[in-house]
Amino acid sequence: MQTLIDSRMTMPDFIAALFDKLDLAGVAAMTKLPSGEKAAYTLLTDKDDIEDCVPYFPAMPANAARAVSKFTRQAPPSKQVAVFLRPCELRALTELVKIKQAAVDNLLIIGFDCAGVFPFSKIRLSDELKLKEYREAVAKGKNCEGIRPVCSACTRFVPEGADIAISFIGRNLDEPLVLSFPSEKGKEAAKTLGLDSSSKVEASPAVDSLAEERGGAEKKLTEKIEEALSGTDGLISVFDKCISCHACSHVCPICYCKNCYFESQTFEYFPESYFTRMREKGALRLPVDRVLFHLGRLSHMGLSCVACGMCEDACPVNIPVSQIFKTAGAKAQALFGYIPGKNRDEPLPLLTFSERELEEFED
Amino acid sequence: MDEKKEFTPSIIYGLCSWCGTGGSETAGAMHLQYADNIRPFRVPCTGAIDPVYILRALIEGADGFAVSGCHPGDCHFDSGNYRARRRMAVLKTLLETFGLDSERVWLRWVGHGEGKRFADTANEFNDHIKKMGKNPLAQRRDT
Repeated sequence: MQTLIDSRMTMPDFIAALFDKLDLAGVAAMTKLPSGEKAAYTLLTDKDDIEDCVPYFPAMPANAARAVSKFTRQAPPSKQVAVFLRPCELRALTELVKIKQAAVDNLLIIGFDCAGVFPFSKIRLSDELKLKEYREAVAKGKNCEGIRPVCSACTRFVPEGADIAISFIGRNLDEPLVLSFPSEKGKEAAKTLGLDSSSKVEASPAVDSLAEERGGAEKKLTEKIEEALSGTDGLISVFDKCISCHACSHVCPICYCKNCYFESQTFEYFPESYFTRMREKGALRLPVDRVLFHLGRLSHMGLSCVACGMCEDACPVNIPVSQIFKTAGAKAQALFGYIPGKNRDEPLPLLTFSERELEEFED
Repeated sequence: MDEKKEFTPSIIYGLCSWCGTGGSETAGAMHLQYADNIRPFRVPCTGAIDPVYILRALIEGADGFAVSGCHPGDCHFDSGNYRARRRMAVLKTLLETFGLDSERVWLRWVGHGEGKRFADTANEFNDHIKKMGKNPLAQRRDT
């Protein structure tokens, strides 16, 4: 357990201090858009813009790990950048580092407890009522009504691998921040920021109560999905609505392939192929390869799935994609005792092996 | 008439270029027979078999998919077969999660010299799939 300290700074003070005391190229965080209704993940370089910064705003228009990947993929930034990440975004970033799609050098990662986010279409900055409910749920350590289904069943809502971690479950969002510094980089930043460990804060019991509620919800979600998907009929009926738009893979932080296999020439069949398949089965539903796409994608990235819920949010026909991927991904991960996003130095399961293992899968 | 007796399954047998295919050559040299509804599918290494190939076969009409390659420690590329084992474990686990028959997919090591083991595996898998019957997923026209 990390030591929690009272920083005596509210969020705006904290961001201002980051700019003032650390030599930063910028801060990346959720920021209000000019329309005043929505927010987007933004890279801010000017201290004057920080009043629009709303790191806690409960929405995830895109998994921020993708954004971080964009500006660190080829080379780490030459000057330090402070990035605010939700725990699942941080896990996704860790997975991206493993596949060399992001670098964390010269990033100061600021993680914070996550009480979940609303589906992006369901939340506006002006929705005072909903945001008030959310704040109350955070303070009590309860699930807020209406957040993404995978968020309400997420048990990993405390950041793992951050340099500075903000504890906010069970606390009031306007109060001074309660911080901990799990990494060396974070401890150094704390010194530069002039934060000392003199005023320790107790861990909030709300964290445990939320973990308990989420654990129960996770079990229920798994059961529900397993029941809905059982057997050929279940599987096909769940994916029946799929229109093959592949939005789920486009927004997935783990699906990094620039040339996705499922969008490659492999699936551009010659016309004759359709007629052959049609003759075989007597009919052919178009577009083809919907079940193959989902099962195949699952076999490709399921081991790294961080259950952020982006896929489900982007699905135009409301298939519970992320609930399915969370459930099935967890089964596959359990084979290797692999926890995605836990440890940057742990290799991906398919890139390593031991000589004697999994013999029960040989026939 | 018993329908299952008439049933000739459609089976794909993924073989690596080195041991799996070698096993089939040895079986040929030894004049060993195996069921002719088994279609060999040659790949450079079992580690090169993406689970998508197997899924696609199972969705598009195959009743079973077997994979054979070098025994652990014998891989021509050192560790391809270990990767294959991990991938097959993932695939079988996913099939299991969705209530599909993971038993329609087999992984068995066959060395270059093991002609008998190759023919036996092919026949055993054929009988096994015959007993299981048609693959319900392959019958669907709305996948």
